[in-house]
Amino acid sequence: MNTNSNVYTVIYTTIVVVVVAAVLALVSQSLKSRQEANEKADTISQMLTAAGYGAKAEFGKMGNTAVLEKYASEIEEAFTINPSGEKVADLPSGKVFSPKELKALNYIIKDAEKAAEAELPVFIFKNGKTVVPIYGAGLWGPVWGYVSFENGTATFTGAYFDHESETAGLGAKIKDDPEFQARFVGKQADFKAEERSAVFEIVKGGVSGEAGGVDNKIDAITGATMTSKGLDDAIDTWLYAYKAYFNANEAPESCAPQGENCCCSGCEKSCCATCPCEKCCTSEDCTVSCGPECCSEQCGCCGEGCCETKSEEE
Amino acid sequence: MEYLSLFVKSIFVDNMIFAYFLGMCSFLAVSKNVKTAAGLGVAVIFVLLVTLPVNYLLNEYVLKAGALSWLGEGFADVDLSFLSFIIFIAVIAAMVQIVEMVVEKFSPSLYSSLGIFLPLIAVNCAILGGSLFMQQKDFVNIGEAAVYSLGSGIGWFLAIVSLAAIREKMSYSNVPAALKGLGITFITVGLMGLAFMTFMGISL
Amino acid sequence: MNAKIKETLLNPIFKGNPITVLVLGICSSLAVTVTLKGALVMTLSVIVVTGVSSLILSILRNTIPSRVRIIVQLVVVAMMVILVDQVLKSFEATYAIDKQLSVYIGLIITNCIVMGRIEAFALGNKPWPSFLDGVANGAGYGLILIVVAFFRELLGSGTLFGFDILGRFGYVTNNLVILPPFALIFIGCIVWLQRSIQKDLQEK
Repeated sequence: MNTNSNVYTVIYTTIVVVVVAAVLALVSQSLKSRQEANEKADTISQMLTAAGYGAKAEFGKMGNTAVLEKYASEIEEAFTINPSGEKVADLPSGKVFSPKELKALNYIIKDAEKAAEAELPVFIFKNGKTVVPIYGAGLWGPVWGYVSFENGTATFTGAYFDHESETAGLGAKIKDDPEFQARFVGKQADFKAEERSAVFEIVKGGVSGEAGGVDNKIDAITGATMTSKGLDDAIDTWLYAYKAYFNANEAPESCAPQGENCCCSGCEKSCCATCPCEKCCTSEDCTVSCGPECCSEQCGCCGEGCCETKSEEE
Repeated sequence: MEYLSLFVKSIFVDNMIFAYFLGMCSFLAVSKNVKTAAGLGVAVIFVLLVTLPVNYLLNEYVLKAGALSWLGEGFADVDLSFLSFIIFIAVIAAMVQIVEMVVEKFSPSLYSSLGIFLPLIAVNCAILGGSLFMQQKDFVNIGEAAVYSLGSGIGWFLAIVSLAAIREKMSYSNVPAALKGLGITFITVGLMGLAFMTFMGISL
Repeated sequence: MNAKIKETLLNPIFKGNPITVLVLGICSSLAVTVTLKGALVMTLSVIVVTGVSSLILSILRNTIPSRVRIIVQLVVVAMMVILVDQVLKSFEATYAIDKQLSVYIGLIITNCIVMGRIEAFALGNKPWPSFLDGVANGAGYGLILIVVAFFRELLGSGTLFGFDILGRFGYVTNNLVILPPFALIFIGCIVWLQRSIQKDLQEK
């Protein structure tokens, strides 16, 4: 048989292409659900790690079902917000974002025209940690991950990152090196920054101890400049998109302490934003004797209820 | 201006050989003298320039998640990205063979100087690497992809020609017998790579 | 085991080593030799891929039209690699391994060793020797990877397989060794060593 004739060549290549495409499509379709289940458990364990429920390796050993159960029992709230920081909708229970979905969101966030329509996920865990995702490009491929904040404030409490193809021993450290992830703990994101790139900084050659401002710098990974840069960029881009949400949680600056006996003296954000006792209680304001300890217990201390119950007990 | 910065960046900062170390096999094998090195370099520029925009279009309109939506609503969910490796490599191999046939037919003199290198290029990681970087960098239009491919090709060309020049000079040096040829070439490339790392600090 | 099979198996490990003698598969050897673990995962995957794809293409060798030879080879290799990746990804027990491996998928497809051995051996030999040749070349490639990775991880990070070794003695890690050019310099030294022992490989 003449294997060099045109007809044979065309038929042969067609068969090869059809067979290969069919095999790959079949395998990819039939294994899709299993792969997605694995991916979901992996994503959840990344979020749990960032929220401080344990080390990533432990979740890997637990098995998929145990990870899902742990998540179901620890998640307080999961919802989406828009770039103005308002809540849009609750997420269906157990819904997490695969790297692919994060990639799609990343396009929207970076697109100046579409950015206003972005719906960004926020996960709040029962231990008070607020977890949000980040996504961006490293050196070879995408990098993504989760960072957690204390009670919706700007202070980091943990982070976990993953990547597709960073160099082992260098860029891959963002995932493999718990020490690098621990560098985030206690640092802050500068949600008030005007420039996107100033939200958070991963700097080369050590963090200089300059005083003042927001403590938003960590040391980069030695030898992995491009991965560190990419991760920095990803964190900046995503946290900048969340800034309205986090700023709304912060206490307004004008909330200054309001007098010695005021219930708002500590300038607790929940207090100052909502506290009805704008006058604040001095001892004259109360009909009956009402010590400061009463005030600090109940916000509406100047109301009659507080002082009266106190006096009745006496 | 953006095109210019992308162009310069892809030649020096993101040099295929010295920043990413792609396409090393043919780089080391075909750098004994400047003339053949330049021939291979030109072939690489040419193939990159042809395959990268083609792969860009394929990625944009066939492979990417939702890329098939131009076929109709029902195709909006189709994600063929698991095929991207195989499609890219097939396009590269096909392009290399088409280029070989066309050159042979229309310019026998060019073919005789370039021809022997063409089969080598299909397995040159720099070519597939270029397509994969293109996929990852999310170029906004085909012009950027073309500029990037031209820049990476020129970067590769410069690298192989400079190595060949060094090797030609080195044939007059007194290298230990066991280190002659391949051994000293590896070490030379290593040192050149270290030197090229200085470009990494440039931000454009 | 007859002499010919023994020769097929042992030759690529030292005398005809794909990296130091045939100069194949350099690109990937730079990226994966920073840690021993990465080198080991890559070695195992390359052994499997070279073995199986040599086997398949050796079976098909008499039917492949020579004009589209390279495309067919690349498509088969790429299919194999993607299949392995997809299957590993689907099981809970192997998912973690696959996450390690998926980093190297692209590197395995473009690894010239796979293509080089198919061209040079599998297309002219029976399936069983082709399979052995593929496995042996994968192993020879892996040997160099592991030696280079051993030194790079030990000197660059002070660890082996992630366990702290030199750090205990107050060793300050040498970040220069982690940079890719140093893999080249190490390979250059291995070539030097090998050619000092095997004088017939020395170049004039």
